[in-house]
Amino acid sequence: MNSPDRSNSAAPMIQLADVTLNLRSAAGEVNVLRGIDLSVAAGEAVGLVGPSGAGKSTLMMIAAGLETPTTGRVRVAGCDLVGLSEDALARFRRDHVGIVFQAFRLVPTMTALENVAIPLELAGRNDAFEAAEAALAAVGLDARTGHYPDQLSGGEQQRVAIARAFVSAPRLLLADEPTGNLDGKTGDAIIELLFGLARDHCTTLLLITHDPVLAGRCDRVLHIADGRIVEQDARQAAE
Amino acid sequence: MVLPRSITLPLRFARRELRTGIKGFRIFLACLALGVAAIAAVGSVSSAMMAGLEGDARRLLGGDVDLRLVHRAADDAQRDFLAQSGQLSEIVSMRAMARRSDGEARSLIELKAVDNTYPLIGSIELAPAIELDAALAERDGVFGAVVEESLATRLDLEVGDHLKVGDATLELRAILMREPDRIVNFASFGPRLMLSEAALPATGLVQVGSLIRYHYRVVLHPGTNREAWLQELDTRFPDAGWRTRSLENAAPGFDTFVDRTTLFLSLVGLTALLVGGVGVAMAVKTYLDGKTETIATLKCLGAPSALVFRVYLLVVLILAGAGTMAGLIVGATAPLAASALAGSMLPFQLPVRIYPAPLLVAALYGLLTALAFSLWPLGRAGQVKAAALFRAVVAPLAGRPRAAFMLATAAAVALLAALAIATTPDRVFAAWFIAGSIGAFGLFLGAASLVMAAARRAGRPRDPELRIALANLHRPGAPTPGVVLALGLGLTVLIAVALIQANLVRQVTERIPDQAPAFFFIDIQPDQVDRFNEIVRAIPGVSEVRTTPMVRGRIAEVNGVDAEALTVDPDSAWALRGDRGLTYSATPPDGSEVVAGEWWAPDYAGPPLISFDARIAGDLGVGIGDTVTLNVLGRPITATIANLRRIDWSSMSMNFIFVFAPGTLEAAPHSVIATVRVDDPGTETTVQRRVTDALPNVTAIRVKDAIEAADRILRAVSTAVRATAAVTLLAGTLVLAGAIAAGHAGRVRDAVILKVLGATRVRILKAYALEYGILGLVTAAIAAVVGSVAAFVVVTRVMRADFVLAPEVVAIVAAIATAITLVFGFAGTWQALGQKPAPLLRNE
Repeated sequence: MNSPDRSNSAAPMIQLADVTLNLRSAAGEVNVLRGIDLSVAAGEAVGLVGPSGAGKSTLMMIAAGLETPTTGRVRVAGCDLVGLSEDALARFRRDHVGIVFQAFRLVPTMTALENVAIPLELAGRNDAFEAAEAALAAVGLDARTGHYPDQLSGGEQQRVAIARAFVSAPRLLLADEPTGNLDGKTGDAIIELLFGLARDHCTTLLLITHDPVLAGRCDRVLHIADGRIVEQDARQAAE
Repeated sequence: MVLPRSITLPLRFARRELRTGIKGFRIFLACLALGVAAIAAVGSVSSAMMAGLEGDARRLLGGDVDLRLVHRAADDAQRDFLAQSGQLSEIVSMRAMARRSDGEARSLIELKAVDNTYPLIGSIELAPAIELDAALAERDGVFGAVVEESLATRLDLEVGDHLKVGDATLELRAILMREPDRIVNFASFGPRLMLSEAALPATGLVQVGSLIRYHYRVVLHPGTNREAWLQELDTRFPDAGWRTRSLENAAPGFDTFVDRTTLFLSLVGLTALLVGGVGVAMAVKTYLDGKTETIATLKCLGAPSALVFRVYLLVVLILAGAGTMAGLIVGATAPLAASALAGSMLPFQLPVRIYPAPLLVAALYGLLTALAFSLWPLGRAGQVKAAALFRAVVAPLAGRPRAAFMLATAAAVALLAALAIATTPDRVFAAWFIAGSIGAFGLFLGAASLVMAAARRAGRPRDPELRIALANLHRPGAPTPGVVLALGLGLTVLIAVALIQANLVRQVTERIPDQAPAFFFIDIQPDQVDRFNEIVRAIPGVSEVRTTPMVRGRIAEVNGVDAEALTVDPDSAWALRGDRGLTYSATPPDGSEVVAGEWWAPDYAGPPLISFDARIAGDLGVGIGDTVTLNVLGRPITATIANLRRIDWSSMSMNFIFVFAPGTLEAAPHSVIATVRVDDPGTETTVQRRVTDALPNVTAIRVKDAIEAADRILRAVSTAVRATAAVTLLAGTLVLAGAIAAGHAGRVRDAVILKVLGATRVRILKAYALEYGILGLVTAAIAAVVGSVAAFVVVTRVMRADFVLAPEVVAIVAAIATAITLVFGFAGTWQALGQKPAPLLRNE
């Protein structure tokens, strides 16, 4: 895997300014986000915690260009996301963002190797499969490249998902409860892997978790409730 | 060849998608394969028929050219010219009676007198294998004859026995196994008897006005330009009045038959494909519903919408290609099957080979249908939001795709319509068919929406089962549109076919026996009429005898315009094609009604007036006061139309397109035809025997035999129609099964949850019975109306017959269809009812 040195970048990786998101539903308008201001430095690891429905996932989707805010500015990896077309946002994700989900989200009809190669194939890289093999080796799955998702354990599937998220050396990695579907021991191993890779690649990490241990590994923890950041806890950064 | 990445990448992803095999695509494949197979089979068999006909045209025609005169032979100048042009063969054909020499058995026959050059092309096959000349030659003062086996059986004759035709006694010398120029003829009234031209005078059948056909076949000298020769023939003998046939129209009746049959069968095949298209759309939607998570994942990883669309378009196209290919293989082998099943009934060898043109057309139909029905769901697939992955349940596809995909769908439908119109000989009919299909689709989709809206607005009935049934009808992802479309279209075709058939059967079996006479007697000489009346009226049980003079003539000009230059509605073209029977009468004939103009005075004596068939007059665009010139035995007679009659052809009375006023035709050589009605069918044999014994030149045609011949045609036609309707119904059933299977997983889950909440199996079953009962009934009701309208149009406009709605037929078909829906619904639910809740809840 590539590990470019990007730690010295001065500009923040994520900049959200007064971001709101209102959704209309049959029951009336719902204010999902109510004026979020956030700046995440390059290479920083930020944890998002809070009750269900607080707006954590929505905040993450906005950072990934998967959701368009009702108002406010969103700048990620130097790109202004507001106003970009669906396809431009897809290219932005392909080039800059890796995502790890709680439910792994591997394509069931593709092998581990093919799943990992997808972002590189989409980018038109000729060495997609070599790079994917290296990424799988980095997560300890070099012996499982030809297996389909349903032939892998939950922990193995999540490792494939992590390899896929890191394979294109993204500047930002988003993780939505990456250990939520795993037992404690496997979850710990995944946390080690995730943080290790993020450190090696100087990747900015934004992760949602209910797990205090995982949150404790982050540089900064944001508490979100009712669509607002109610508390910032920068214990790790202060150390 | 290096393909661009915009193709290789989607191709690579599509290939990975197809690793799971055809699961979920079985109905898709079956629907496409079935429709394509039907169209390819019809096209291939039709091409094979035409190729066979073309290959054997000379043999079937009996030469390069066949000229036919009715009533009279060619004159010496004409005969000389024909003989100088090449090899000439003269044939005389007519209907006559053959009797066993002891008079114990008799039969109507198709008599053919041949000269010693016959057959010019091909060979005749006799059993025992003797030469035709020897078989027909005069031996010890008796001429020989050969007959078809059926006649030998009917008259209980063996080779060497004697039989009588007219006044002549003939010796049966051989059985006719194969006649090279005999074209298949369902409607032939009697078996063939062949004798020599030299034997004909002795029969006494050649009399003035008898319905005799003289055929002159010519094999032209090598190098003769046929077109130029035909032109010269026309210039030399402009008034000859013969009907000319050459290789291009060796069997006009037969190729029209093949054309019409092909038209109907290909449209029924297309209906099957369109019904199957509903299955295609549902299969693609269900498949893509299951792929929303994968699509969202790909988009999360940076795949643009266009790539997603291309990947799944390729998946659909590859599968459509496979389904189409399977259909083509079946269709391509159809000529082989047709040759094995019906080869012996055809007058020519069916060339068994691959016919690329109809296969190409069928393949285009298959691929365009797949596109027309899958672009809509494919377009929606590109719109799956990647953000969906952050939510617990990925919602199925819904709503409309982008405008570009709706336009592409419309373009595919337009191409499909254009293909149907371009490849169908009768374009107007094809256009109506397309419009009707689109209308039916719209109607059933609208009906489905109405059912869903009504179920939504029905409020909350107190009965919980009814409440569940109504909710199931309109909930998101309900199978209502699919079931209504599939069942509705299939049922419409079925009801239309059943009603058309019921009407045809009624025409033949219900109406005719009451009104029809028992016999037609033809070729009675004017001086035999009194004797004929005397004989027949003396037989107890005979209730009515009618005689009418008959002359043959053909339309030469209409208002001074040559008949060949007229463009006529194809339905009435037959009236212009050859000789028609003409009569004269002082009073209006029975079975017809004057609808315009006035009937002439009984003692009319003035310039020629005629009464004309109203429908044909309408198609020719003529009316009262216009003139028609008829060629009667070579002499042109111009008459003014005095009135128009509406003729009930099904009455089986003596009906004539043209009836002359007294004073014109009496002098022309003519014969008399008669109808005889009997009260007691037991006297029929006596009537036939007494007349033909006393007047051997008179031919008796039993109406029952004619009805049987018509019945044979009907049966053959309805078998073909039923077979193709079955294909449509099969497609509908497949789609219905698919619609119900698509919701099966949801059904099982619902049933389990209902059981967990305390519902008994009977109550769940009742809820489903109500749901499918409502669907089946509503669909059957609409299909009954649409199918009846379709049948009405076909019966009244295409077949020009009276339409009678047979409510019992509609009711039976509708009831069966509702039952089928219930059975399918239950089949899908049965498993659900048997499920133990625990395993399913654990997996949830």
